[in-house]
Amino acid sequence: MAESVLKLKINGFVRRVAVSDQETLLEVLRYTLGLTGSKQGCDKGDCGACTVLVDGEPVLACLSLAKRNADKEILTIEGLSGPEGPHAVQDAFDNAGAMQCGFCQPGMILSAAALLERDPEPDDEAIRHALSGNLCRCTGYTRIFTAVRQAAGIEADRKGVDPRPAPAPPVDPKLP
Amino acid sequence: MLRLPAFDLLEPTSLEEALHLLAEHGGDAMPIAGGTDLLPNMKHELFTPKVLVSLTSIPALRAIEDLGDAWRLGAGCPLGELANHPGLQQSLPALAEALGAVGGPHHRRMGTLGGNLCLDTRCLYYNQTFQWREALGFCLKKDGDVCHVAGGRKCVAAASNDSAPPLLVYDATVEIVGPGGARTLPVREFYHPDGISNTRLEDGELVVALRVAKPSQGTRAAFHKLRRSGAIDFPLLNMAVSLRLDERGTLVALSAAVSALAARPNLVKGLDRFLGQVPDEALVEAIANRCRRGSVPLTNLATDPEWRRAMVPVFIKRLLQRCLDA
Amino acid sequence: MSDKKKRDQGGADIVKGKASPIHGVDLPGGDVIGRPLRKADGLDKATGLALYTDDIQFPDMLHAKILRSPLPHARIKSIDYSEALAMDGVVDVMVGSELPIPYCVIPWTRDETALCTDKVRFIGDGVAAVAAVDEATAIEACKRIKVDYEALKPILTIEAAKQPPEDEAIHVGNRRGNQHKYVDLSFGDLDAGFRHSTSIAHDDYYFHGTTHAPIEPHCAIGKPEPGGQLCIISATQVPHYLQRELARVLGMAQQNIRVIQPALGGAFGGKSEPFDLEFVVAHLARKTGRPVKCLYTREEVFYSHRGRHPMAMNFKVGLDDEGKIQAVRSKIDLDGGAYSSFGLVTTYYAGQLLTGPYDFASYGFTSTRYYTNKPCCGPKRGHGSVQPRFAFECALDEAAAGLGLDPMTVRERNTMPRVATTVNGMRVQSNGFLACLQAARKASGWDEKWGKLPRGRGIGVAGSMYISGTNYPVYPNEMPQSGVTVQLDRSGRALVLCGASDIGQGSDSMFTYIVAEELGIEPGHVRIVSSDTDLTPVDLGAYSSRITFMAGNACIDACRRLRKLLLEAAATALGQSAKRLRLAGGYAVAVDDTAVSLPMQEVFRLAEAENGTLSASGWYNTPLLGGEYRGGTIGSSPAYSFTCHVAEVDIDLETGELRVPKVWVAHDCGRALNPVIVEGQMEGSTYMGAAELMMEDQDFYPADHAAPGLHLGPSLLDYPIPTSSEVPEFEALIIESLDPEGPYGAKEAGEGPLHSTIPAIANAIHDAVGIRLKTLPITAAKIWRALQETH
Ligand SMILES: Cc1cc2nc3c(=O)[nH]c(=O)nc-3n(C[C@H](O)[C@H](O)[C@H](O)COP(=O)(O)OP(=O)(O)OC[C@H]3O[C@@H](n4cnc5c(N)ncnc54)[C@H](O)[C@@H]3O)c2cc1C
Ligand code: SF4
Ligand code: FES
Ligand code: FES
Repeated sequence: MAESVLKLKINGFVRRVAVSDQETLLEVLRYTLGLTGSKQGCDKGDCGACTVLVDGEPVLACLSLAKRNADKEILTIEGLSGPEGPHAVQDAFDNAGAMQCGFCQPGMILSAAALLERDPEPDDEAIRHALSGNLCRCTGYTRIFTAVRQAAGIEADRKGVDPRPAPAPPVDPKLP
Repeated sequence: MLRLPAFDLLEPTSLEEALHLLAEHGGDAMPIAGGTDLLPNMKHELFTPKVLVSLTSIPALRAIEDLGDAWRLGAGCPLGELANHPGLQQSLPALAEALGAVGGPHHRRMGTLGGNLCLDTRCLYYNQTFQWREALGFCLKKDGDVCHVAGGRKCVAAASNDSAPPLLVYDATVEIVGPGGARTLPVREFYHPDGISNTRLEDGELVVALRVAKPSQGTRAAFHKLRRSGAIDFPLLNMAVSLRLDERGTLVALSAAVSALAARPNLVKGLDRFLGQVPDEALVEAIANRCRRGSVPLTNLATDPEWRRAMVPVFIKRLLQRCLDA
Repeated sequence: MSDKKKRDQGGADIVKGKASPIHGVDLPGGDVIGRPLRKADGLDKATGLALYTDDIQFPDMLHAKILRSPLPHARIKSIDYSEALAMDGVVDVMVGSELPIPYCVIPWTRDETALCTDKVRFIGDGVAAVAAVDEATAIEACKRIKVDYEALKPILTIEAAKQPPEDEAIHVGNRRGNQHKYVDLSFGDLDAGFRHSTSIAHDDYYFHGTTHAPIEPHCAIGKPEPGGQLCIISATQVPHYLQRELARVLGMAQQNIRVIQPALGGAFGGKSEPFDLEFVVAHLARKTGRPVKCLYTREEVFYSHRGRHPMAMNFKVGLDDEGKIQAVRSKIDLDGGAYSSFGLVTTYYAGQLLTGPYDFASYGFTSTRYYTNKPCCGPKRGHGSVQPRFAFECALDEAAAGLGLDPMTVRERNTMPRVATTVNGMRVQSNGFLACLQAARKASGWDEKWGKLPRGRGIGVAGSMYISGTNYPVYPNEMPQSGVTVQLDRSGRALVLCGASDIGQGSDSMFTYIVAEELGIEPGHVRIVSSDTDLTPVDLGAYSSRITFMAGNACIDACRRLRKLLLEAAATALGQSAKRLRLAGGYAVAVDDTAVSLPMQEVFRLAEAENGTLSASGWYNTPLLGGEYRGGTIGSSPAYSFTCHVAEVDIDLETGELRVPKVWVAHDCGRALNPVIVEGQMEGSTYMGAAELMMEDQDFYPADHAAPGLHLGPSLLDYPIPTSSEVPEFEALIIESLDPEGPYGAKEAGEGPLHSTIPAIANAIHDAVGIRLKTLPITAAKIWRALQETH
């Protein structure tokens, strides 16, 4: 059936892709464009693993027809971090130990980032509510809530240390 | 993955064009709004339209209008936008609450009011993959000839849209356009008790908007959804209540709706007899029991039907109480 | 092999290899170990960089789809796939007869083939597979395969499986009809035990089926490699076992098969044995000479299952006047589903793992596993022992109530000593259970709440014990259960090679911390290559909570060998004795003069110059463990973890709706190598237990239904798991008992903290409404019915 060449604005860049009308945004992202950060856990709207931001709002890519996204700004997890490094939410999720298997995380993090964009200081209820479309099977959500609060600056990093991976060791000029 | 069957996606930018396209392709075409109901159903091969007519690029469907004595809510408005609308929250709280209870945040962002109104009825023997339904031997609603719930010749799949009960108690009206022009239908006449297709929309017709009169001074309304988890789940039972008391505290208006039973969202009949009385515990009890009588849950959803039935009066009472306490 | 090393392993001889050197707590750790560091792969996952199996594509890759049986029990009379094969885009089709060699993760019970050869045994059993240029074509082609079945009477319940089969047994030729495994063991004098009991609780309990439901569906890619080798990339948690079974079934030399496990999107035991898709992609890749990928749909994930066995359990618990456990007797029937999986082990675990944290004066269990025409059950987080734990901890409360004893006291009174041998011969060398009880009691405000909350609200407690790996390698061998190689590079980087599977539990991170601790380098300078059978020494995989204990010890062992060389090199260069040097924070420093130091990168170079290329392998094997009886090694572990849960519930008395506002989980993990990761495991386990009690149910239509054996709803919508909006609050309380053989004292934390969640909530429900619900799941409807009955 019908196919067309589409211009999709993804992570700030316009990508020209050939899509057939029945292809979902998730199929195009993952299999045509190789943007595999967006995950697939059910393919029919039940889990939220495929969450991407369309014009800033979390959307299920598995239930979104690719073609209907032609004039939209699409942000995937790959686009959330920039040359300056990971986005504050990504950093907070890492710092709080919010990920185990990580499979729900791209979707979860995008939902959290959209929440903080809308409501920079959400209360616990708002956090629970905003993430309720993203299933996580590993964490029991506890540390995810912590991460969002940390990203919002509501909760301090309890560690009091920055356990970031160390930079590469400087090359000792004396060594050959 | 679950692949969508092939189709052509048409994206009209006006209502006229959409109607024209639907007429042109007849039975091969279906409208698609948010797609959060239709696309999973298509992945389950419950529908295999050759043409999808997209409604998202039609600006006329997107308006929320305050007409003074009524609200006019465009069919294309996302549920979340309506649920968070301060004017609606204030004036039509039961509706705002119901729309805020749909699925999860994504579904409310993508799903529309029109799509919710026209949500396909649901049943545990129906909303499954092709392979699953094949192993079942299919059912009356799609590809088969028996009903595994009622055993009869009629499909009793459940009306599962959260919007229906509040729209019923607010006595909302559906604005429809079609090949034959525009018409309106009160929501209470919009549905009929046929699970295969439970709306009275004709082929090629579209829902344009819902018109909801602003309740008169003193009206209180409330909604409750019985659900398994806190999100991403369809109702096990949906209930809404609206009532008004006069200055002396007598009941002058009362309506109640119960849904997610069978194909038609049920506006409870025979409540007029309770008017003119001052609500006390006994009256609340009587109203709740009246609601229970007409509500017969079936095995179309994966929950104990007897429990669901027993929950009707419990929650109707609570809703009445909430209204009376407000 | 010496006779002493021979142990009976429930049907076959098992051989115990040399026990490995134990470093244990003689290494205190502290620079890195025990600190709340980030995970090694955290940012990769947060940024979408981590590649999971379905994220990987190869040029010219084909896509496979498996046709599955619509019948629960039938003979395959014929398969006609000519129409499918003729389709444009279809490259190949395979059927069961092409790979007829049976397999199973447990070598004694091989009863499964890649695709069905002669009969199908559940709805969803694989029958044929198609490789096509794209997935859509493969799906369409499957629909065009015609299979002619001769339907057989399905066997769907334990009761039905006990009867002689109407048509034929599920596995024709099985000596005991549809009975798969029978175990009957007894320890101490049960009769005397019950005679001395003044309060006896005796009841039937039922644990329903639940499944793992990882968010990542199973996926595998088969890829022909140069030299006739075959690479299988798969979402598995047992690359080594998969490699073995692939080699057998494909008739290939094991060394010609490479299994790689990329990032894994959750497993919980659901990916801990070979699955049909792995054989299918391997075979089709070999046949077509092209890479082949197969991705399960969510529905197929539910059919592949291997989740928790439904168990019908009869429990009798006797307490004496003082509330001491005198006797425990159980009879357990397991509903195994269509195949064996780990079922042999499950049948033992259902009894063997109950004998802590309490002292049992006498104990006996009979456990019997049956085949039924449903997806196969297997190991789910807390393998085999979550179900009896539910029954036992409820029964313990009941028996205690008979004496007027409160649940906390009865548990305190019966706690086994810190060092003990259980009634069934399990060696316990560290036990922080009492501390767990005390911590949970205090944090939850138990003393102000139990028996004192208004009707509808309640609080409950339960305890449990679990293994940190077992000395039962799935196939008998004398070789290490875990091997780790560490290579040091002159750039200052340490490379860790290990077969262990990081399934989200954080094993890659654990290696990072251990190497950084041992060699004094920054965690960021440790690189991990894991779970690739071509590159890494064998580790048996992520199951039985074994990796931290076993691979952790192996890693310390490897590091220790290198550490010695590094210290020597640094000592020489700094003119100090090695004893007076510390390796920490990227430097070798003198303990009493921090000015005397050398960067580790330079130490690496000096050591390499002195000793040649720096690399060392370490390994771990359990010591000889277990009771001297048939099956005595199954469930015997080098160390046991202990858990106590306290749960609070809030029940709507009119509707039966259950809310669990908060669960406290105190867990003795020996030593928390990273407290953030340990707490994450405790919270995740508790979440999963609570979900199993409240909403999860892997169930099937009964025999009198239109579609007997059909799954009630194989989707994440119909099989609900908690969302963030209603998930209880969890508070994790870490208890460190320092196990003498664990790495820095560590034991497991990934499975133990699930067990007692379920009985703690069930006991809280009893406290709230005085009702003992013995059948799971405990839904609102069930509570409501029970409340109606008591009115
Ligand atoms: C996991 C999940 C959970 C969900 N939970 C809920 C829930 O709890 N409660 C609930 O009510 N819904 C639920 N939904 C369904 C759905 O998200 C909502 O009902 C939504 O409002 C549907 O709107 P839509 O615009 O996406 O409809 P679409 O899928 O676009 O359309 C639905 C149907 O209506 C027709 N239609 C759409 N617009 C019009 C129109 N203007 N005129 C005529 N016909 C039209 C379509 O042809 C189609 O047949 C859930 C969905 C999922 C996937
Ligand atoms: S109610 Fe009957 S006919 Fe309708 S969908 Fe369910 S099983 Fe099919
Ligand atoms: S993959 Fe889109 S919601 Fe699950
Ligand atoms: S981290 Fe595994 S699903 Fe959320």
